[in-house]
Formats: sequence, C-alpha cells, structure tokens
Amino acid sequence: MCIKLPLLLCASLCLNFSYGYARDLDQSAFQEPLTDTSKLDTTRKIIRPVVRRKGSISPQKLSEIPVVSLQQYLKGQAPGLTVQEPSGEPGTIQNMFIRGLSGPLLSPADVMQQQPLVVLDGIPLIGEHPFAYDIQLYNYNRIGTATNLLTNIDMNNIQEVKVLRDLSAVAIYGPNAANGVILLTSKKPGTIRRISFNTYFGLALRPNVTTLNASAENAFRKQFYDRYTANGRYSDEDVYPQYLSDASSPLYNGPSNWTDYYYRNGMVHGISADLSGGTERANFRFAGGNVRNEGVADSTGLNRYNVMFNINMKPLQWLTVSLMVNANRLERDRNRSLRDRFAQTNYIPSLSLPLAPNKEVYGKYLNQFSKGYDNNINTLLDGYGKLIVNLKDVEISSGISVDYNEGTRDIFFAKPLMEGNSYASNYFGYNQRLLFENVISYTKQFGSDHHLKASAGQLLQWDLSKYNYAYAYKGVNDFIKLNLINKDLIPTSFPANLLFKFLDKTSHNLLSVYGRATYDFKDKYSLSLLLREDASSNAQPTSRWFLSSVLSAGWNVKNDLLSNSKNVSALSLRLSAGRLGKTNAYDNFGQGPQYTSDIGYTGNVTLPGYNGFAILSRPYNFGWVGYGIPWAYTDQLNFGIDFGINNNRLQGSLDVYTKTDKNQLLGIPAYSEYGYKTSLEPGLSVNNKGVELLLSYAAVQSQNNGFAWTPAFNISYNANKLVALPGGLKEIVIGNRLLRTGEAVDRYWLLTNEGIYNSVDELRQADGTAMQYSGTALQPGDPKWKDQNGDQMIDARDKTLYGHSQPVVIGGFNNDFKYGKWSLSMNFYFNLGHSLMNQQMANSLDFINREGGNSITSLKEITFWEKRGNRNDYPLYNPWSSVIPYRIDQNLFLENASFLKMRTLSVGYDLVSAQNRGKLKINGLYVYAMASNLFTLTKYKGTDPELVPYTGYDTGYGMPIPRTYTLGLKMNL
Amino acid sequence: MAVLVLFMLLGGCKKMVDVQSTRAVAEPNMWNKLEDARGALLGIYGLARTAMVDNNAHWIYGDLRAKQFVSPTRQDLKAVIDNHLAASYPTLEALSSWRRWYAVINAANIFIERIPEVKKADLRYTANTMDLDIAQARFLRAFAYFYMVRIWGDVPLIISSHDGKFENKAQNTGSEVLAWAEKELSATLEILPNRYGLSDPKQPGLYYNEGSSRWQGTLARRISAYALLAHIAAWQGDYSKVASNATKVINEAGNAGVTLTDVGSLTNSSGFFSGKRDSHLLGFNFTFEQGEGGMSGHIEELTLASPFVNKAIPDLYIPKDAILDIFNEKKDTRFGLDTLGRPTSDRYFVNFDSRYPVFSKIKVVEGGSASTSPSEAKFSFFSSVALFTRLEDIYLLRAEANSVLGDRQSAIDDLNAIRSSRGLPNYIETTNGLVIDAIFKERKRELMGEGHLWYDLVRYNKIRQNNLAFTELIRNGGIYWPVSEQLLQQNKLLTQNLYWK
Repeated sequence: MCIKLPLLLCASLCLNFSYGYARDLDQSAFQEPLTDTSKLDTTRKIIRPVVRRKGSISPQKLSEIPVVSLQQYLKGQAPGLTVQEPSGEPGTIQNMFIRGLSGPLLSPADVMQQQPLVVLDGIPLIGEHPFAYDIQLYNYNRIGTATNLLTNIDMNNIQEVKVLRDLSAVAIYGPNAANGVILLTSKKPGTIRRISFNTYFGLALRPNVTTLNASAENAFRKQFYDRYTANGRYSDEDVYPQYLSDASSPLYNGPSNWTDYYYRNGMVHGISADLSGGTERANFRFAGGNVRNEGVADSTGLNRYNVMFNINMKPLQWLTVSLMVNANRLERDRNRSLRDRFAQTNYIPSLSLPLAPNKEVYGKYLNQFSKGYDNNINTLLDGYGKLIVNLKDVEISSGISVDYNEGTRDIFFAKPLMEGNSYASNYFGYNQRLLFENVISYTKQFGSDHHLKASAGQLLQWDLSKYNYAYAYKGVNDFIKLNLINKDLIPTSFPANLLFKFLDKTSHNLLSVYGRATYDFKDKYSLSLLLREDASSNAQPTSRWFLSSVLSAGWNVKNDLLSNSKNVSALSLRLSAGRLGKTNAYDNFGQGPQYTSDIGYTGNVTLPGYNGFAILSRPYNFGWVGYGIPWAYTDQLNFGIDFGINNNRLQGSLDVYTKTDKNQLLGIPAYSEYGYKTSLEPGLSVNNKGVELLLSYAAVQSQNNGFAWTPAFNISYNANKLVALPGGLKEIVIGNRLLRTGEAVDRYWLLTNEGIYNSVDELRQADGTAMQYSGTALQPGDPKWKDQNGDQMIDARDKTLYGHSQPVVIGGFNNDFKYGKWSLSMNFYFNLGHSLMNQQMANSLDFINREGGNSITSLKEITFWEKRGNRNDYPLYNPWSSVIPYRIDQNLFLENASFLKMRTLSVGYDLVSAQNRGKLKINGLYVYAMASNLFTLTKYKGTDPELVPYTGYDTGYGMPIPRTYTLGLKMNL
Repeated sequence: MAVLVLFMLLGGCKKMVDVQSTRAVAEPNMWNKLEDARGALLGIYGLARTAMVDNNAHWIYGDLRAKQFVSPTRQDLKAVIDNHLAASYPTLEALSSWRRWYAVINAANIFIERIPEVKKADLRYTANTMDLDIAQARFLRAFAYFYMVRIWGDVPLIISSHDGKFENKAQNTGSEVLAWAEKELSATLEILPNRYGLSDPKQPGLYYNEGSSRWQGTLARRISAYALLAHIAAWQGDYSKVASNATKVINEAGNAGVTLTDVGSLTNSSGFFSGKRDSHLLGFNFTFEQGEGGMSGHIEELTLASPFVNKAIPDLYIPKDAILDIFNEKKDTRFGLDTLGRPTSDRYFVNFDSRYPVFSKIKVVEGGSASTSPSEAKFSFFSSVALFTRLEDIYLLRAEANSVLGDRQSAIDDLNAIRSSRGLPNYIETTNGLVIDAIFKERKRELMGEGHLWYDLVRYNKIRQNNLAFTELIRNGGIYWPVSEQLLQQNKLLTQNLYWK
C-alpha cells in the first residue's frame, strides 16, 4: 500500500475530492429524481408491478418468492439478463450474463469472468477467484464451499434493484463492471419509527419419478446382445457386469425404492424483521433474518442468517455521515453424489459395483456419511462508511467500503465410504476488497435553461484472494477426524506421505481517476461525457493504464415537441457510445514470460517437484504468456426510446444495442513443438447485438378499489458473433468446440446423424471402399454420419455447427390482478432458441464403453436407477464398435431446450384496515399464498431443460427445481 | 490545486499497481540464484518424468502394442492393442501428441541459453556445476529426441528456445535426429560423473549442498549416457556401437554403484522399483517420502487388481496360455509351474489360476508398504519409478549385439549371466533355439511391463525378417504412431506419418 489510508482520507477531505455513493448512477439523461426514501410510505404500496421502468425491479414483490439467491430472484425479470440455474440444489453456483457472452465458455473460470458486477449500496461485491481451479484435477466445483455468494441478499432489505446494461450507466463503476451491473439499493433509515415483520413458510414437493432396477437394465441391454452377438458375448474379453448378471440377487433386482431416501418434501421458510427510526439529524435501520431452504433431493439445503444495519447522521447541516453493515452466515448441506465426492477426494475407488436401487442397501450406504461430516460455512461482511460534505453548489464525499467473504469447508469421510481409507480435508479461503473513493461534484444552474453538473473522482481498490487447503487419506481410525500435527509440524493422525497441503494467494489492485460532465438544456436536451483512466496491477507494466470514455445524449421529445399532445405522455430518446476497459482476472498475465511449478500430468495435476525439490519451469500446461498484452475493452453503442401513452397507461422502453468485446485473451492451441499446450494471445473479439423491449400496461383500472389488471412483459433478443480470433485465425478447435469467425461462440460442433448402416452394401462407396471413421472402417451396425466434405471419410472435418447453448430470446410475463383487498399475480419465464446436448442419454446408451471405465465420467449415481427420457427412441447401434456409435458429438443428442415456465402464482389479501384499531396500530398487514414452479412447457425429452450447466451438456446432475407452496405474511407496525 | 494534488497522489500510488505475483516468477526474478538453477534443472527432469508417464504413455507405447497384454474392459487400450491408433479416444489423442516431450526440450533449451546468467549473478554457482548442469540438460534433450523418434519416426529437430519468436518447423528425418542425439550424448561423456554428491572426480563434494543419498539414481550419469547411446545404436541397427557402449556400461557399473538385481528385490513391493536407486541406470523416480506419486502414471494403475488394490478386473492382464508360453522353462524364479502344475511363486503373477492373473512384478503401492491381506484397506497410491533401462537390459542388449555381429560365445555368456540370476540353466541350443531367439525371449521375460517389448519386436523383426506382416509394418511406417491431428492443425509444415494418412 503506497500511502497510509488515514493520510489519504485526510488529504481527500481537506482537498475536496468527493463523490456521493448513494447518488443515482443510472445515467440515462432523463432520470427520474431519486425518491426521497425517508418520506416514502411503503405500507400503502405493498403491491406494485414487479417490473417497473428501465430495468428497475420491485424487491417488494420478489421477496415473496421462496428462493435464496439473487440470480433466482432476477430470473426473467429484467431485459437483457440471462440467468442459468443448473441445479435445484439450494445455494449452488448460478450464472448470469448481461447482453450475451463476451467470449466462449470453455471452463468455469471463463464463466466467473463474465459475471456481472453486483453493487450493494455502492459496494462492488467481490466474488470467488477462479485461481483455485489450478490445483484441481476435476473442475465440477471450486474447492471450498462452492456456495453461491450472491445468496447474501435479503430482498426485504432492498429498496430497489436495477439491472444496468448500457455503458452510460455502467462505466462509472469502472473495469469491474464491464459485464454489466446489478445495482441493489438498500432501504434507508427514516425518521418515522417503524417495525416490520415478513415471513413465509412452505413446502417444496418431492418429485414423482419412475425407478428402474437391474432387470429393466438387462431387458434394455438384451436388445443389443440379441442383435450383435451370437452367444451373449461380443468377444472373448467381453464381460457382462456382475451386478446385472446375477438375476437372483435381490440387491439389484429387488424393489427399486431408493427414492424414499433420496427425495423428500423440503421445508422452506424465511423470517425477517426490521426496525427503523430516528430524527432528521440521526436515524437508523436494523434488520435481521433467517432463511432456510431445503432441497428436495439428497438432503441438501441452505441456511442463512442475515443482519443489516444502516445509520445516517447529520451532525452539521452540511455534513452527512453514513454507515452500513450487511453480514451473512451461510450454512450449506451439500449433495452426496459420487462425482462431487470423488472430485473432491481426487480418488476414484473401484466402480465395478454401483449403488444398489434397494432402499435398505442405499440407507446403509447413506448412514456411512453420518460417521463423518461435510461442513460448509461462509461468512460474508460488507459495509461502508462515508462522509458527505454539502457546500452550496459543491458536494464532496469520501468513503471506504469493505467487502469480505470467507469460506470454510471441513470434510471427514469415514473409512467405509472410501474403500477403507478415510479422507479428511480442510479448506479456509477468503476474498476481500477494500475500496477507497473520493468524489467532488459541482452542480450549477445558469439561468433557467442551463444546468451543468460536473464531477471528478478517484478510486483505489485492493483485492486479495487467498486460501489454505489440505487433504489427507488413510487416517488411523474413524474417530480422529482432524489432520492433527505435533509441535514439529509432523502429522500424527494421517500419514505424512498422504497429506497434501496447498497455499495460494493472489491480489489485484486497481487505481482509477475519472471525470464526468453533464449538461442539460431546458429539460429537453442533455449531453454527458465520462472519461476515466484505470490502472490495473494485472495489466502488463508497459500498458498499465487504459483510457475509457463514454458519451451519451438524450432528447426529451415530449418536452420539446409534444408538450401539448394528449396521447403521448412521455417520449424520450437516448443514445450512448463508449469504450470501457476490462481487467484480467489472473496476475500471471501481468508478468509476461514466467516460470512456475507446472509438471503435473493427467490424473496427477499437483505433482510438486522432483526428488523432493520444488522445480521451476515454464507454464507449459497453462500456456505461453508473452509480452505486449494490451487491455481488453468493450465498445458499445446503445439507442433507447422510453415512452408513455395515454397518461402513462402504456409504458415501455425499447433498447437496441451493439457491443463488441475486443482484445480479449484466448488460449490458442499453439507452439506444441516448444512444449506449450496453448498460447495466451490477445485478439479475441466477440460482438453481441440485440433488442430489448419492456412494456407494462394498466389494462383495466377502476376507481375505489375496483378491479385492476396490469400486465407487464419483457423480451430480449441477442445475436452473438465471433468477430476475430487472435493472430487473424479464422477458426480453431478447443476441446469439443469449434470457434469460427462469423458464428456465435456458443455453438455445438457435431457430426450429422443420418441413421444406421444395416448391411455391407450400404457401406460401399462409389469407388468400392468402405466408409471410414477416423481411419477405422465402418461396419454394419454403425451410425450413418453425413460425409460433409465428400472425402469418403468421416472425421472432424465432417462436423458442422449446430444450435446455441445460450438462449437467443429470453423474457418474462407478469400479470397482476387486483380487486378490492384481493390481489392475484402470476409470473411466466421463458428461454427460446437454445439447445442442449442430452449427455445423460448418450451415457446411458454408451454402456459398453462406460462399464469398463474407471473414470469420473463413468460413474453410476443412484439416479442411474431413474427413468429419464426414452432410450427406445434411439437407433440400435452396435455399442461395441470402436467408432463409439453413441458418441456425444453428433446431432442425435442435440435437443431443443426452449421452455416456458410458470414461475409463480400468488394470491394475497390486504388485511390492513381490518386490524387498524385498538392500541396496537398496524400500518400494513398483508397475507399471501404462493405456488412456485408450477409447470414447464418444453420439447425437451429429458428432465428439465433449465438444469444444464454452462456447457450445454445435460449430464443429469442438476437436481430438480421443486414445485413449492408457501404461505406468507408481511406486517408493518 | 486539486488537480495538482491528484497527480501527487497518483505518483505515490504508482507502486500500488506494481504487484509481484506470488504465483509465478517473472523473467527478472529468474536466473539470479543458485536455487533458480536447481529448480530449472530439476524442472527438466520433472518434465521428462511427466512425458514418460502421462496417460501411462511409457507402457502403452512400449508394452501394449506388442499384443502381450489383453484389456478386458477398456476400449481405448483395446484399440492400441489392435493397432487402431487413430481411433478417437481421448487417451489415444493425447498419446499421439509429442507436446510433452517438446516441453522437456524447450526447458532444456532455455536452461542451456540462460544458465550463464546465474553464474554471473551468484558466486556460489561455480563453472564446474554449470558445465555439469548443461551436460545434464543436453542429455535430457537427447533422450527426449530419441524417445520421440521411436514413437513417431520423424520429428522436428529444434535445439534453441526461440523464446517469444516461435516458428513452425517441418519434421527432420529420424536418422538425422538420432545422429544429432548421438553427437550430443558423446559430448556429455566427458563431463557427466558417475555419482553425485560423492567424491567423483568430475563432481567432487556435495552437489547443490546435498550428498549422495539425496541424489542416488535420480540424475543422468555418464553410465546413463552410455546406456542411452547403446539404445540409440540398437535402434539405428549399428550393433558394433551397441556392443562398445554396452561394454562401457558394464565396465563402469561398479564405479557407479549399479548392480544386477536379484529376483527377490526385483519383485518386492519395496524393492527395486520403489524409491531411488543407483541401479536405476536411467529412471525418473517418485519420492514417496515427499508426497510424489499418485493414482495415475504408473503401470500399477493398469495391471494391478485385487489383492493389491480394490479392483476386481485389472485394466490389463496376460492370459494364462500366453504366460505359460513365455515362461516355458522349469525353475524360472520369476514364474514357473511345479510338477503338479501349480505356480512356483507369485513374483510375477498373483492369482494365476483365476480368470485374470494379476501381473504383479511391479507393485509399489503406498511406497511399497501396503499389505495384501484382505482385511487391510487398499489405497491405490503408486510411486514406482519411471524406468528407462537397467543393467539386465544392457547385458541382453550386448548379447543381442554380439549375436548379430557373429560373436556367438560372448552373446551366450551375457545371456547366461541373466539366465543364471533367474535360476535358469545355461543356454542350450536344442532346448532354447537360436541364440538370437533366446535373447529376445529372455528380454520378454525379464523386462516384462517395463515398456520394452514393442521396440524389441521391431529390432527382432529387423534382424530376423521372418514375419512378413511385421516386416511390411516396418517398411511402411506402421510401427510409428500417427501424429496428432491437433499438431497437424497448428503447424502446417508437419506431415502425417505415411501409414496413418
């Protein structure tokens, strides 16, 4: 740290840099003035349309939904925001993307780096850092708690949620915000003493599934044996699995009732209370709450305790001091799937016998977990303190914000779960962000027509992420569950050779200065320019600084030309164009060519050294990092219309944008003859274009508490296009993806399936030779893949691009009905135009290859015994064929994943007047009943098209998002 | 005023954005100290070890293609055994890529180019040590090239780092590359010692402050260079050079602490294949004590099953008939049947009578300390050495050379040296067939599971030319692996091996 903070604070206070955090930052030129929250009477406005103008969403309504994460709350609520919920397991990672993908999603780290910034009362929240993936053999979950850190928001504490998509609004938050911003503003203390109490209780229903046992599996496999073998054995070495062959064993052939222990009815509840009050000079708000959300599968759940505290003081007329603290504790019960457990333990036991579908046997297995533990606890703390000095035309503000989150995961798996070898693991990690920001702003009205506002600010940000992690195998017994060490640091309970320790730390510092000037003329025209310079420690020394600029203009057509129009009640146009820098997530890129310890190999990625000495080599697996890496940046152009018709009965806004993220780093497979797996090169450029429409219409309005109906609708279309690859390449293959310029980055690259070869004759080509697949002659029983390039050979060159893993069209539809004290609302949510790969179906059909494997992809979870989709819809290929007929990379497994879901249906009754007598004065009392996740309309033949990870490959690991019924109460005293 | 102070603040805060990564060493901080030299040198060794064992490459290349092992369950291994090397399994795709060997070469090239900087910067780093370290880097680079030529035939010969100015290169012929490797190795003979950290005239005193117990069997020695030269000559078919280099190895063995291994130690779980030993003529060890080792990268992962690990069926096994065909002489202490048809020992094979005999010659589970008792928990953590050659191999190589060169008696003497150490009577033509056949048969038995059989088959068929199909395979390049499609995509100057076009 270059200068001690107190000095900075002093310097800035004395020298008038300042900036108000709570200031409204959504800078479209015609912003409604910020509501004076101290005077807002929320009790009378309990029911409001969920979607309000310009991406602002009513938290009041959202707080009734029995979910825990910000992502879940925002699903389908805001234009331009895609939310992925790959599993119904409470508290797991969910993804958000604003206005499409800025690059291909090749790893969880890519997903993390494309998440929007969440700002809570001016504090840009820091998430987990992806660097821990470096030591992981499997990247299904990040080590540690892997809890969704955006479950730290209690909607009851939130006054306003805004999704900022456009650079004119986003750029003030700097490079952290290049993926868009979700702005949360908490409820402010008021001068009226008020207590409120909000709660709901409910039940998440156990799903109904069809179970299978070994005889069902045998019957299915028999078709293949009948067709392709003479005597039930394909070759001398063909082994029929033991668990299927023993028909007399009740273990696998008996009743398949494991679901009794796997699925359940989950309890959900939320309780929160808050208290606020004070005087004009000093006021406060204190809130506390608890949310418990039980999953319906595998005893999962999340428990959150939340405390929030705000205080505002005005010791002098010109000075405001405010302070906010939001503290959360998250306790998560994680799933017990084999995959997640083995990925954690880095150890795959023998897989020859899968879990049995029988309830008693499965119950015994589950009991083994109770001999150990898997504790996942996160503590999150964010807060700010700030001083605002108001001097006539000048306002100075200075503030410090801190965001800190830590996670601990302690695991002990007892011996029976691990082939007799116990496993203990301890993780402690934290991420912290310290932010120091000073802003000075000057507002001046010249005459009646000219209004000028100028501000300048400076921001210092220190990010630090760190973890300590150790795991060990083979403890002395199942009673000592800790990695005990003696005073010489020698482990005593676990063998030292089988104890592995990891420490890692990375920091990122950001230094920014910016200035902005906004000029308004007669409330008709406005012009605003923002310039900022940012320096990042993750940028290379030769290009530390990046200049970003955004110009925005607005024209209030209504005020200018249509002030007399009766039909048009509001009409304004917005235009903004600009550029904003994007920082690197990893500090490695700032170093240029480098040395590290990178000599791991397949199955053993963390091998530390040779002959007991730490080694140093170039990061051959990570990839070549050269000099001359510039900043990546995003260029955006946005045009918007806001309109209101017929006294704002119909309101809406339309946005058209194009955004290009340029100069991004991409690992290009290159320089293999110099040992590198990839070369990390700048030059990836991805464009997103789209249209977003938001409409709300007071369809029926009547006076005196009569019937009212307000539908609101939002829909967004996004088209993604890869503009350029590093080094002028036109296309590259990375893993199972082909990236081709001109195409979207989220497409699947697949062979085209055209049926089955039934006979040798069908296989014969014009020149008499048999069709080949990658050098292997195809046989009858193999799939007929389309020879796209007509070279008599099926190989990667015959793959074509199909579908999108991201939805092209997203949206939501709300209907609010009101009659007297009754209200009814329903919410629909849809994703269209995307597809998924039905990996679980491919796995199920490719049983020959998977039966023999002892890898993490050939696991049979307990859900192996659940019927998902119809396997008989697929052609009967020869599963023994070395071309792997049921390989995933063919369009046979591509399915349309579009869906429409009814997310919520709720009925409420306003009891307020009925209770408004006696000593206790109740200002508001509202009761409601809600049903969530009522139905899904989709063509997808598997489970739920939403339960797909970012890759688009439905592996079947997503737990169902349950149908939930809740009863709730909101009370204001 | 405000602007002025702003700039003052920024000046002071310039340091704020100069953060030293704690996760990677940037160029200015490398090549400054003795420890940098040690880390970089051992890095080359570590990379060579990785190249050998990644995806169990050494055994899949060396043992599987010879069709001795059978895979009951794994389709990818079956494809290798059936010579379907272009089949699309992730393992095969990885094994078709030479990238990990070029990592060894690039690390060696960088080392050779940059190490003088350490000598300049750190007085503790002597000229003698630097010469020695450079010789080791050159050794490892030559080793990598030889290994690649055996797999792919022709590979690009790249002998400088081209750091940051990488250029694509076309393949050089295998013979060109081998000639270069031979020259390189010969140059190191003058410099490499036979022992490190002990009073070897070429490396007196401690080496990097550690004595011989730390370094034994871990680094390239002069004797290793001779052994490698013998192997290169054998692959080239230059048997007089094989004989002379093998003789050097055998003569210097005592000086280097290298001995023949008795059958007990060879097959003991904490014996020859565990830890680091001078007798690992050229091998890359895993120091179990330091947590090196793992579940993958060792032949144990492929061949072991119950009672050594929790696995009913091994990934690879040798069928009973094949075992009996290979071990067809009585009294063989490695494996044989007694008069009642029962195995005389379970050194090489355990559970011989079951459907899947377990090849148990190499079984360093948990550092060799694991119990095979059914009541004890099994933990698949392996740390056997990635061994390229040992003295027995060199004896048999010399026998092969002498046999080809017509020195029949010398060949028989070397063969008998190995036979007698395995309890077998001296070679007799009437029972053991031709000398050359007996030598290769002995290699098959002795070096089973050490990644030799495939290359032995190639040399045997080059000598004997009595197997038409194999001779054809040698002629049309079918003995090589295909070059990975990904490599061909990246570097348009490369060509696919003829057989796999």
